[in-house]
Amino acid sequence: MARRYDSRTTIFSPEGRLFQVEYAMEAISHAGTVLAVLSKEGIAMAAEKKVTGKLLDLSLAPGGEGMGGEGTEAWMGGGGEKIFLLNNNILAGLAGITSDANSLVNFARNSAQRHLFTYDEDIPVEMLVQRLCDMKQGYTQFGGLRPFGVALLYMGWDPIYGFQLYQSDPSGNYSGWKATCIGSNHSSATSLLKQDYKEELTLEEAKSLCLKVMSKTMDSTKLSSEKLEFATMTLHPTSKQPLSKIYKPSELDGLLRDLELGGTEEDAVGAMEGTGGGGGGNVAIST
Amino acid sequence: MSRSYDRALTVFSPDGHLFQVEYALEAVRRGTCAVGVRGSSCVVLGVEKKSTLQLQDPRTVRKVAMLDDHVCVAFAGLTADGRILIDKARVECQSHRLTVEDPVSIEYITKHIAGIQQKYTQSGGVRPFGISTLVVGFDPNDTIPRLYQTEPSGIYSAWKACAIGRASKTVREFLEKNYTEELSRDEAIKLTVKSLLEVVQTGAKNIEISVMERYGVISNLEQSEIEKIVATIESEKEAEAEKKRARIAATQAGQASMAMGSQAVSGTQTPSAGGAGGAGGEEGHATVPGEETGAQ
Amino acid sequence: MECSFGLTGKDYVLLCSDMSAGRSIIRMKSDENKIKTLGPHLAMAYGGEPGDTNNFAEYVERNMRLYHIRNHYPLLPEPASAWIRRTLAESIRSRHPYSVNLLLAGYDTTTTKPHLYWIDYLGTKAVVPYAAHGMGVYVSLSTMDKWWFNDMNKREGVEVLKKCVDEVKKRITINFNFNCILIDKDGIHHINIESEDPISEYEAAQPKDTVVEAPNPPLDVGVTA
Repeated sequence: MARRYDSRTTIFSPEGRLFQVEYAMEAISHAGTVLAVLSKEGIAMAAEKKVTGKLLDLSLAPGGEGMGGEGTEAWMGGGGEKIFLLNNNILAGLAGITSDANSLVNFARNSAQRHLFTYDEDIPVEMLVQRLCDMKQGYTQFGGLRPFGVALLYMGWDPIYGFQLYQSDPSGNYSGWKATCIGSNHSSATSLLKQDYKEELTLEEAKSLCLKVMSKTMDSTKLSSEKLEFATMTLHPTSKQPLSKIYKPSELDGLLRDLELGGTEEDAVGAMEGTGGGGGGNVAIST
Repeated sequence: MSRSYDRALTVFSPDGHLFQVEYALEAVRRGTCAVGVRGSSCVVLGVEKKSTLQLQDPRTVRKVAMLDDHVCVAFAGLTADGRILIDKARVECQSHRLTVEDPVSIEYITKHIAGIQQKYTQSGGVRPFGISTLVVGFDPNDTIPRLYQTEPSGIYSAWKACAIGRASKTVREFLEKNYTEELSRDEAIKLTVKSLLEVVQTGAKNIEISVMERYGVISNLEQSEIEKIVATIESEKEAEAEKKRARIAATQAGQASMAMGSQAVSGTQTPSAGGAGGAGGEEGHATVPGEETGAQ
Repeated sequence: MECSFGLTGKDYVLLCSDMSAGRSIIRMKSDENKIKTLGPHLAMAYGGEPGDTNNFAEYVERNMRLYHIRNHYPLLPEPASAWIRRTLAESIRSRHPYSVNLLLAGYDTTTTKPHLYWIDYLGTKAVVPYAAHGMGVYVSLSTMDKWWFNDMNKREGVEVLKKCVDEVKKRITINFNFNCILIDKDGIHHINIESEDPISEYEAAQPKDTVVEAPNPPLDVGVTA
């Protein structure tokens, strides 16, 4: 009978560790990198897509040509496989097991709508992060379940704290950041960010820092929309309300060309095989 | 084979252990240290806080939390577990006010927290909370400072001074040796800082101090204030060490002259300075760099 | 047998409520505080079925406090009003509905704007510049229609409120005592609306006593026996 609850998630090892949680973090360190940079004017986020085959048809999948957009358009089909709009004021980038990620996104969107229903306002960013983390924590404590194999970066805006960037991991921990990274090669990316981050960045600088670090982290020479998703969270110039934007592939390629980081469309598919991989150590270890 | 007993639920092993609870205590020991000291009319909470990384937002690093106007709690162990437990306690504080129109007493809320923790050692398919807590505060209409501790097992107890988390044993021994009754506010703060310095090598920047002085009045010390206290402690230690050195030198000189005088020669070695130091029992506790999955 | 007013100004909001408690034509108490502080910049004046009122007000108070302590910042007036409205709307569809009407007043610290909401037991919510509940409606609304204007300073606002109170005293046969608060960027302040020159008194008392800080001490406004 005891077998029924005998899942390893819910128990401590003799040293007081939760191995399942640590293994879940391991799973994330093999996932595509997600990276975000906070500035006074907004937040930029880039995510590495791991497309698995040349024949994968991206034109209809979310994130294919024609998807993405600004404001309410960003809802259309979401961003793709890595970046999702959780609420008008919150975008999230996910690293880890995609199916787990989908259910977390669903939960997050539900929570955000529930908040809208009772309080008639966009959910404050940290509150949504906490909602998700409370659930993730539950999955490390209750029987018969494994933890979520997903780490998230959340970027959002609310009237209390303005622009915010958070990171959460499978243990149910979260923390706020000025610039951070999850997924493969996160440690090298974080040290690059530490080097180059400056207080008082403009949004343009944040975007370029984001993509530059990304290009160094991904072991491919040229970036393109085929293997990258990109989004920003800003304030609408007139209404001063949060404005999320998930870049369309063409827009992203344009941006990459401007930054001279690639963006040409020819060499994309071939080059992306064997990207990423290798990540060292645990992702998103709390500090 | 005890293996099969520490697996699934928290069940007794043949020799009467609840392994999961014991392992949860291990998780607590992997968290950073927290110290509570009760003075004559105040209670001080001191925590070791990990240095925030350069790009991190310090606002989101929370080891000490208010449960209500007059109750403050610090925890050691798994951060996410702590957040959940604190949230439950906060709901209880307000719910208690709503039903009986009085704020909770410190013992009541401690008992409630411990009760939740106990439930998680006995219910189906759950692991215990991997945290210990220190609950401090003042009861409504009362001037006696309170300090309680809870453990993953659901045990709770009242203390004059207490430590949880990493190297708590060392700190607790230090407190036992140095605690005196009727500490003033400043003395209580100093004792807290001093005891934390037993485990925190990096000094003031990794120490956070909260002082509750009476019902509903709580303040956090500024970094500069803590630095000042650390500095005085250091200089006192320095003076102490200086005295000790002088004493040792004196003894050594005495011994040397004795040896000279008696001319009893070869083979006898004067005890070295380090050996004669005697009282150096509690110096420099080895620290394990705490890079843990969410241990705080 | 009750009346309450609310009124917004340039950077503050006023809330005023009578202090009588009774049944039918009998008054049992004339110093009942019917304004509940819900946070550092939020308060409500409530009336309705006795019993329901206190119960509901305490329920709201505790939920607001819980939100505050959980999130380290208080609920802003707009979401607070939505929550209260929703609670009443769900209540009226339940087996034991609350019969409570209220005026919710708050100061939004993020936009530095005052807010006033008129909410009734049916779950109606209206965002209003000035409002009244109870008996006072019949005489004070027209007064406020005439005298209220945009961006009034504190003195002007209090003057309008005094006019309403005077009108109530003049036209309504019941004798009311009034309890009044002002909410601005510094928090909630008590105003003695019955005095000759409330605003001077208020300003004189400013540096000390009346300023209410968050989150301590436990908040209470007005005279409660």
